[in-house]
Amino acid sequence: MNTPAADWSDRSRELAQQLARSALGDRSAFQRVYALSSGHLFAVILRIQRDRSLAEDLLQEVYVNAWKAAGSFDAQRAQPLTWLTHIARNKAIDSLRRAQAQPRLEPLHRGDDDDDGGPSAAERVADDAPGPAALLERASDARQLGQCMQGLSAQQRQSVALAFFDGLSHAEVAQQLRQPLGTVKSWVRRALATLKACLERAAQADGAVEG
Amino acid sequence: MDYARKPLADALAAQYVAGTLRGAARRRFEALLPGHPALQAAVADWQARLMPLTSVLDDVPPPPHTWERIAQRLWPAPPAAAVEPASWWRGLALWRALAGTATVAALALAVLLARPDAALPPVVVVLQPTGKDPAMDGSMVASFSADGRAAVARPVRAVAVRPDRTLQLWWATAEGKPRSLGLIRGDGTTVLRAGALPGGLQGSGIDHMAVSVEPPGGSPTGQPTGPVVFYGKLAP
Repeated sequence: MNTPAADWSDRSRELAQQLARSALGDRSAFQRVYALSSGHLFAVILRIQRDRSLAEDLLQEVYVNAWKAAGSFDAQRAQPLTWLTHIARNKAIDSLRRAQAQPRLEPLHRGDDDDDGGPSAAERVADDAPGPAALLERASDARQLGQCMQGLSAQQRQSVALAFFDGLSHAEVAQQLRQPLGTVKSWVRRALATLKACLERAAQADGAVEG
Repeated sequence: MDYARKPLADALAAQYVAGTLRGAARRRFEALLPGHPALQAAVADWQARLMPLTSVLDDVPPPPHTWERIAQRLWPAPPAAAVEPASWWRGLALWRALAGTATVAALALAVLLARPDAALPPVVVVLQPTGKDPAMDGSMVASFSADGRAAVARPVRAVAVRPDRTLQLWWATAEGKPRSLGLIRGDGTTVLRAGALPGGLQGSGIDHMAVSVEPPGGSPTGQPTGPVVFYGKLAP
């Protein structure tokens, strides 16, 4: 069986070709792009936007945007799945902002201080969906990234996982972990810096071996 | 703030891609992106670093109707009112296919045969060149749905129109003055506005049609002002 990382790059290769054809107006190529990536993008969106019907709308918007922007995708500079995932994450994060601006909608990530019986953000994760920390554990087969993740403290990992996978803001992560906002901010900041340094070291080491 | 300063650009890009840059700060950052290559590069680097993290998520197949909705949004089908004209419109393709490939003709025929509900066949009018402008050769085809509610026009072969001129399509009764059906393209299909023939095809008493060369925007007088380059009479 393919590891997630190997599957990621296999899918990326075909996606790059199909996206290039989509940029020229090839609709069947774009349908192939959809077939190859929609399951992944829907998973990414659903982690952040748990309202399923909103998530479906967002997924449609992602592909409408991707079709229009296909011409600006540069396979030399970015992996197609990275490019598509970023569009999906952006839409999902923006939808949280919009939902917050609409008082009619219930809050998306309820804090513990709400006592109206609603499920907390953590409880809303579908029962069979792994928690954010468990996802980072799985990322250990994503080679270097996983190894670098192991270099973070447990608190740093947890903060990054909540923010990245579930789209929680600094304030929401702080609430979830019952930590001061400033502390959480610095965990996230340091975690990202550590990650970057680790990945760059790994890339240099790779280069040294190949050269 | 000096966004070109590398550590700052990098820190902002990290928070942006990680998703923790929120609200007004996120919008500001996105507004700045197009004009700041350094920020773009930092964002691209962070995307490459963090997005593979999502590869550990199990795919969640979207509901089956999602693709159809996306396709509808990207490439909307003609509105419902145009569905019926669409079937006779293919008749034009059939007509055109006499000079084209048999495949297109067979397809168009199949479409026509598959739509027995179109009780009356469309009326196709062939407009022949009058010779007043040697550049305007070939022929022009106008096709009307039997109820007169929809019409299309197209040249059988593209005709070149001077950039400062346009083609206008007219219809007239046996005795009456020409009335405009609208401006048409010399290089492709023009869908004419519905209801251009008052009373429908039967009730209008249409006898013949013509195409004249007019200034941009069409005839300023409401009557043909330039040479009539195509003319066709409806079969009685």
